[in-house]
Amino acid sequence: MEEATIVIEPVETLEVTVTPRRNSRLRQIRAQIPFLLPALVIFTAFVIYPILGSLYYGLTDWDGLSPDLHFVGLSNFQQLLSDPSVFTDLKNTLIFAAGVMVLQNGMALLLAIILDGFLRRLAFLRVLFLIPAMFSALAIGYTWSYIYNPEFGFLNTLLSKIGLSALQQDWLGNPHLTLASLIVTNSWEFMGLGMVIFLAGLQAVPTELYEVANIDGASGWQRFRHITFPLIAPAVTINVVLTLIGSMKTFDLIFVMTNGGPGDTSESLALRIYTEAFTLNHFGYATAVGIILTLFILGLSVINLRFLRKREVEF
Amino acid sequence: MQISAQPNTFARRLNPVFLVSRSLALLIVLFLSALVVIPLVVLVSVAVKSPVDLLNNPMGWPARFVWSNFADAWNNAALGQALFNSVLITGSTVIGLIVCGSLAAYPLARFSSPWFQRTYVYFLLGLIFPIQLGLYPLYKEMHDLQLINTYYGVILLYIAINLPFVIFLYAGFIKTVPRELEEAALLDGADRMRAFWLIVFPLLRPVTATVAIISALSTWNDFFIPLIFLQADGMQTLPLAIYNFVGQFNNNWALIFASVIISSLPLIVVFLFLQRYFIRGLTAGAVRG
Repeated sequence: MEEATIVIEPVETLEVTVTPRRNSRLRQIRAQIPFLLPALVIFTAFVIYPILGSLYYGLTDWDGLSPDLHFVGLSNFQQLLSDPSVFTDLKNTLIFAAGVMVLQNGMALLLAIILDGFLRRLAFLRVLFLIPAMFSALAIGYTWSYIYNPEFGFLNTLLSKIGLSALQQDWLGNPHLTLASLIVTNSWEFMGLGMVIFLAGLQAVPTELYEVANIDGASGWQRFRHITFPLIAPAVTINVVLTLIGSMKTFDLIFVMTNGGPGDTSESLALRIYTEAFTLNHFGYATAVGIILTLFILGLSVINLRFLRKREVEF
Repeated sequence: MQISAQPNTFARRLNPVFLVSRSLALLIVLFLSALVVIPLVVLVSVAVKSPVDLLNNPMGWPARFVWSNFADAWNNAALGQALFNSVLITGSTVIGLIVCGSLAAYPLARFSSPWFQRTYVYFLLGLIFPIQLGLYPLYKEMHDLQLINTYYGVILLYIAINLPFVIFLYAGFIKTVPRELEEAALLDGADRMRAFWLIVFPLLRPVTATVAIISALSTWNDFFIPLIFLQADGMQTLPLAIYNFVGQFNNNWALIFASVIISSLPLIVVFLFLQRYFIRGLTAGAVRG
């Protein structure tokens, strides 16, 4: 039986398009089970099952370990709506995400345009700008905590050396600056990734378009505005959506650099989920916050995709 | 770039607008390069300073290179054990992902019937949801299966989390590999599994390199999963060991930075060798995503 399937199987699959019988389709699927099974089992057990489970635990008062768990309906969500600190966390998360989207993608695009131009041969520059992304967020967090340190940090020392002591700040301790400092650090770490994606987009733009524009006497800005920018729209879409998703989920960097402080001025939803669950044992409530975060990520990604896809052009 | 196609190249080069825009671009690149390099120089220079040197001269080049900082960090933070754990976990995860990912992607890329299409979409769902969402049920599941503080528990978890992107990369690549070779082998009577490993898998070498570097990066540098699932002594990976070390010696910046460098260097060396494949993987994700 085994042997028979093995010998006949390839011939069957080859002919499936010619004689589409239900039986042969089932056999085709069965023959592929050994290929798919390991991935299906691991992925279902450790990704899909927990996600489905969260929909259930979000409706309970579970404390994480005790078998004693009560179904509380939507009360976690009611509590969440009347909890002003969750709105602060949401606000911080959105400010952080917006800042990273603008700063990181702006720097990445600028770099990609210049490196795609007359510096194209200097390939090592691309590698250089990717190096920060090879460090863990933890390593980057410590390095920048030192740079931002108000007493002996590199930034304040540098400012006093060049006679700009007036600009010295407590970069992470000043509630008005904390989020901005975190945005700069995050964008610094990941701008190389955005640059690579923009470079791929730029290389796909047909050069004939620029030649025509040159003959028409278009300025550099006009060429960018009317040729480059519209034609790299797919790269813009992917970068914006990737930075949006990534920055809304940011945990490590904020945890290491400020742990949400001072007060709750830099506490993000991802950080809040962790504290609610692993220091306060409010697992049910934490799951509810997780569901809210997911809904925001999904909603904003869909809105962004809708909006950005519209300006993509075919060429 | 396109300028070479112009007949008036020489005239353009002398054009003041052209000169100004080029110098401006050069300045921006220099500024951004400095922005990238300076924090890395700070990282290295602090790591080799003595405490007195660091206090008196926070910005300048070290008066004397104190290489013993690296040995002190290695011993005080128990980095030897952490390095072993990180290599074991990252290595096993990468191998597991290459095996499970390429195997699963193969039929998903080769067959277009609805069942395979739906299975492919099912895997891609994993790209959308943040890991924080399922964290608590996952914690309970890991606890019930006694997988907390075990190597294989965390390895399985990393494989599961990275599978969607790995399958996506493999499936995209397999679609570009011609079927003729494997079909010839199948007609010769080889079974599907053998045909895959002997004929298809060797052709996937470029995308396997991409998968290796991207999944090694995300596993090696991950802090969140060890923070929750690998707290026990002797089980910690490098980022967690450093985090706990900083908790104890939170003012000894030289040792902190020495440990950060030790933990980051292996991956940076791997990256410098495989950077071509890394860039290719990012681009593949972007173009099809």
